[in-house]
Amino acid sequence: MKETKQKDIIIVGAGMAGLTAALYAARTNCSVLVLENAIVGGQIANAAGIENYPGLPNVMGSTLIETVQGQAEKYGAEVDEFDPIERVDLAAQPKTVETESVIYEAKAVIIATGMERRKLPLPEAPRYEGRGVHYCELCDGHLYEGKTIVVAGGGNAAVDAANYLVRHAKHLYLIHRSAFRADAASVERLRANENVTILLETEIKALKGKGRLASITVLDKKTGEERDIPVDGIFVNIGVVAQTKLFEGQVALGETGRIAAGEDCRTNVPGVFAAGDIREKEVRQLTTAASDGTTAAILAAKYIEREG
Amino acid sequence: MVKVYSISSCPWCDKVKKYLKSKGIEYEERNIEKNDAYRKECEALSGDTVVPVTTVDGKNYVVSFEKDKLDAILGLK
Repeated sequence: MKETKQKDIIIVGAGMAGLTAALYAARTNCSVLVLENAIVGGQIANAAGIENYPGLPNVMGSTLIETVQGQAEKYGAEVDEFDPIERVDLAAQPKTVETESVIYEAKAVIIATGMERRKLPLPEAPRYEGRGVHYCELCDGHLYEGKTIVVAGGGNAAVDAANYLVRHAKHLYLIHRSAFRADAASVERLRANENVTILLETEIKALKGKGRLASITVLDKKTGEERDIPVDGIFVNIGVVAQTKLFEGQVALGETGRIAAGEDCRTNVPGVFAAGDIREKEVRQLTTAASDGTTAAILAAKYIEREG
Repeated sequence: MVKVYSISSCPWCDKVKKYLKSKGIEYEERNIEKNDAYRKECEALSGDTVVPVTTVDGKNYVVSFEKDKLDAILGLK
């Protein structure tokens, strides 16, 4: 039989949006619990250097997130990353969030689950995970000292990953199926390296190798030519997928599969808010995640005050 | 003594270490970036140098953070 505990606000997800919400909510004297099923920090935990957060010219993602967590905990918020959520009931009053060991009852819930990296859409890719196919540069980049690395993707995350990995690589290929979507400044920094080859309008068609990845087959979409490139590892940064599985059928989703909520972060369910990258919106940055966390926390506290 | 093969900047290594601390379990961190012998040990144990790798007895091990498997080798379940 699981123990039942009460909290004013439960925040699901401990990335920038969730931890900022925890900081603001805790300062309103609400009891606040943040639950995280993966790693505290979310996508930011893997960021080697953040250069666009105001006031912090160049900061490690892990350092920034530890600081925000510390601020939230200083005001009484609790963060639990070791008790995975099994199910939620957002329509119930109070709302319930059931973890592996506890049933939590909450007056308001803030969903800040964010996104996770899209997997390489090749049937053989799972076979090579950890054996040449990787999704964490900080964790696994060290494996490729003096080796040939591919970064798949053309957005900011991919180019930032390439700028981090190039220090390890003998040679680094950045391969993307269309044009760059990354900031020009980051692309220029990458281009300045002599050991970098950028292949745009190029698709990865197959992974090859016995046991470990040894080469990839790429298709030049402009010429229609296919060729094999010997590589040791590939780091995948081809976009992200919304983490909405826990809330399926309970809150309305938007056009892109994220949670539908306006700038006030209110979802279609009273007392349930969505903050950060999980919210349907056009601009998704670290700064907007912090902004959403602030808004969601303040309005969740007001909701509790009003509804009792 | 529990051993955690890790590298310096690794969110999943940090999670494993935080979990061990939360359970009051002492561990020895073996940074494979800084020590070739540790790198070889890690590779001999798991067949690869993907981290984190956690072991109690030098035979059974867990790669990354998998709570159920960690609890099993740590004797927590």
